[in-house]
Amino acid sequence: MNYTNFDMGSYHIHVIKTDHFKSVNVRINFKRPIKKEEITIRNFLNDILLESSKKYQSRREIVIETENLYNLSCRNSTVLSGNYIISMLNAEFLNEKYTEPGMLKKSIDFLMELLFHPNVKNQQFDQKSFDLIYKALEEEIISAKDNPNHYAALRMMEEMDKNLPLSFASEGYIEDLKKITPASLYEYYKSMIHSDIIDIFVCGNVDPNEIKQLFSDSFKINTLKRKKGSHYLTHKKIRMRSKSVKEQKDTKQSKLVIGCKVGELNLQDRIYAGYIYNLILGASPDSKLFREVREKNSLCYSVSSRYQNLNSVLTIQAGIDKENYKKTVSLIKKQMKDIAQGKFSEEDMEKARVIYVSGCQGLFDSPASINSTYISYVYLDADPVEERIENISKVTKDDVIRFAKHVHLDTIFLLEGDYHE
Amino acid sequence: MNKIELNHLDTTIYHERLENGLEIFVAPNHHGNNVYATYSTKLGSVYNEFVPFGKKEFVKVPDGVAHFLEHKVFEQEDGSDPFEFFTSHGASANANTSNYKTTYLFQGTKDITENLKYLLHYVEHPYFTDENVEKEKGIIKQELLMYDDDPYWKLYETTLFNSFQKHPIRYSVGGTVQSIQKITKDILYECYNTFYHPRNMFLVVTGDVEPEEIISLVREEQSHRETKEMDAVKIKLVDEPDTVYKEQEDLYMDITIPKVTVAYKINMEQLQNITERDFKKYLNICLDLKFGETSQVVEELKEQNIITESFGYDVIYTNRHALIMISTETKNTKEVILKIDEMIHHLSCTEEELERAKKVIISNNIYMTDHIYSMNHKIMSDMIREGKVMDHVVDEIKRLNIQDLEQLIKQLDFSNKTITTVKEKEKH
Repeated sequence: MNYTNFDMGSYHIHVIKTDHFKSVNVRINFKRPIKKEEITIRNFLNDILLESSKKYQSRREIVIETENLYNLSCRNSTVLSGNYIISMLNAEFLNEKYTEPGMLKKSIDFLMELLFHPNVKNQQFDQKSFDLIYKALEEEIISAKDNPNHYAALRMMEEMDKNLPLSFASEGYIEDLKKITPASLYEYYKSMIHSDIIDIFVCGNVDPNEIKQLFSDSFKINTLKRKKGSHYLTHKKIRMRSKSVKEQKDTKQSKLVIGCKVGELNLQDRIYAGYIYNLILGASPDSKLFREVREKNSLCYSVSSRYQNLNSVLTIQAGIDKENYKKTVSLIKKQMKDIAQGKFSEEDMEKARVIYVSGCQGLFDSPASINSTYISYVYLDADPVEERIENISKVTKDDVIRFAKHVHLDTIFLLEGDYHE
Repeated sequence: MNKIELNHLDTTIYHERLENGLEIFVAPNHHGNNVYATYSTKLGSVYNEFVPFGKKEFVKVPDGVAHFLEHKVFEQEDGSDPFEFFTSHGASANANTSNYKTTYLFQGTKDITENLKYLLHYVEHPYFTDENVEKEKGIIKQELLMYDDDPYWKLYETTLFNSFQKHPIRYSVGGTVQSIQKITKDILYECYNTFYHPRNMFLVVTGDVEPEEIISLVREEQSHRETKEMDAVKIKLVDEPDTVYKEQEDLYMDITIPKVTVAYKINMEQLQNITERDFKKYLNICLDLKFGETSQVVEELKEQNIITESFGYDVIYTNRHALIMISTETKNTKEVILKIDEMIHHLSCTEEELERAKKVIISNNIYMTDHIYSMNHKIMSDMIREGKVMDHVVDEIKRLNIQDLEQLIKQLDFSNKTITTVKEKEKH
């Protein structure tokens, strides 16, 4: 595997050459500091760029072209990541060795067409495409509430702190949607192209110089951008006593979501001790939560914890009967307290380390995963995989206990359903 | 050990059938570090009436037993926990039950030999007691209730229930909160002893492994396994009529946008001059052209604001029937139901469209060979559907032609259908 980085002035191209795969993965990332009111327009832009372009006047024509390109897959998504919002164009296509000569250029030209030749006339996006995306987004925003897990998780975060990016609805907001016009969308498009930090990642059996040439032929922007601040998010306030909120919904099962803020820690603790803490607490079927809440007490089918080190937040979720609310919460609190008091074994530590290392060893198993790994290097200054393995082995029980003491139970949210036999 | 070459795909699968009947498949891929191993039995939710091992009469078991068994196979006599074993060996483990099979699996990058041995061991040595069976009921009840709150799941479940009159595919894989109460330790052992016999099982290992090593390891492990001679499991065949159980049902849930599924039941036995495999391929191509993203009609419906998202379509098969399910979300359920009916009666495909579709399917087969999960799933689904690995898929696709396709379309009968909607419940 061979990594090459080209500084193109206003953007970077990262090529990871490997002959292991039959396909090529391309990521084109646009990122900027997150603002709640920009989420909806950014989603809108992502969707409309894949809805039509100058050359392909409709979604149908775009999809037909992807099929002609040997089923090139191409998705656009927005990710809320720490202090940033990232739009990613994620494309994968077969290496031309398995299709026909010239397909690499055709595939990249196709992506460039979608990004740089939007369906715009008189400084406005095409009205027909605009209306279609508008309707689709409107429904997506409304129906997101139909998913009890998603809804409960979001409501908990709002109760925790509505200024925290994690509490922002990734699908967007109706109020913001209503303000978007074909002209304002085009303005936003220009601002994204000209002021976002742009990185292109290509992984596959390709010639780095050829990739550089293919992009520089059609990707021409001349604004110079400076790297901004840290990706990692930290909390300004920590609640002294946790807050409990209940809300009713007409479902059979009740959804319990508990949110914890993770206080300030050095990067080593934040990443590695946090990983082990989370795994011991609830991130595997061998965890304390799974054993105590599910296996020993039969209170639920699903129970787990999730730690997002970028956002300094740890969440716990469980699907339960509402009668068991108190019992479940106290069992969960007990497991957290146990870890903070050191009631876990060196064996638990070792299991978590082994899982971590195993995960690391699989990071280079697909072009998409390799690109994601290099994105973490570029965005987060993440440790190289070999160092990660070394660092996790250094984490001690005391580190995990120290981490546990920085986990502050903040909000307990119950979306209350009702089941009668 | 024999080799199965996937033609035009530059990929070899190694296979052996052991003396006790267990089949092993290994598809090596040395371009990554991960290994994915699946151990499956041909016991799915639909096998609810069969002759138990050592008996002569058919018995009927409560709905959801295959899935219940899947949960309980993790229970070991010495109290050890399979999840703990895999975790401490750097692997992640799981299991799942579908209509036609139950699969136990792990994925990881290290200790492959130990993990594989243990996968075989724990699946072959479960331990059921009255107490541990009772305890599981609370957990499974929560699992079923979780699905019950999912409108898409309810739509699917209701569609299946109403499409079939007798075939057990109409019942939910997990059973119901009521049916699982009837499950006992004895029922579990009876199912286990009948279906978890090596001749009813197969093991698939894909990823960074050496086929010879894996196969000889399993051969050695299995040589210690005590198994009694057994014939193929006798399963009660049902004579499923072509008509549906119920033609329409409206559900009301706490949702914001109504959802609809129109399902068509097609008798495959009545189709002339076409193999079932080709039928499935042509059908998928036609459905994609009519209801997928390249459809002219779908584009028009979106522009006219009748639907906002594309249609989703899915086809499930029994031995006799294909059930085509077309689903979408819309505020105009009535209009959309009529439209779907009109569309299904006008399936079509041009020569150019067929060639493009073939290109897509062949490309997908190439992508598949790069992914150890996709390869593993291909082998499992071939085993369930065909009883062997299909090695000439690319040739099968190349042979598809417009004449056969047109002939097939003419034969399709869409008169047996059922409509399910999920609508917004009135707020009190």
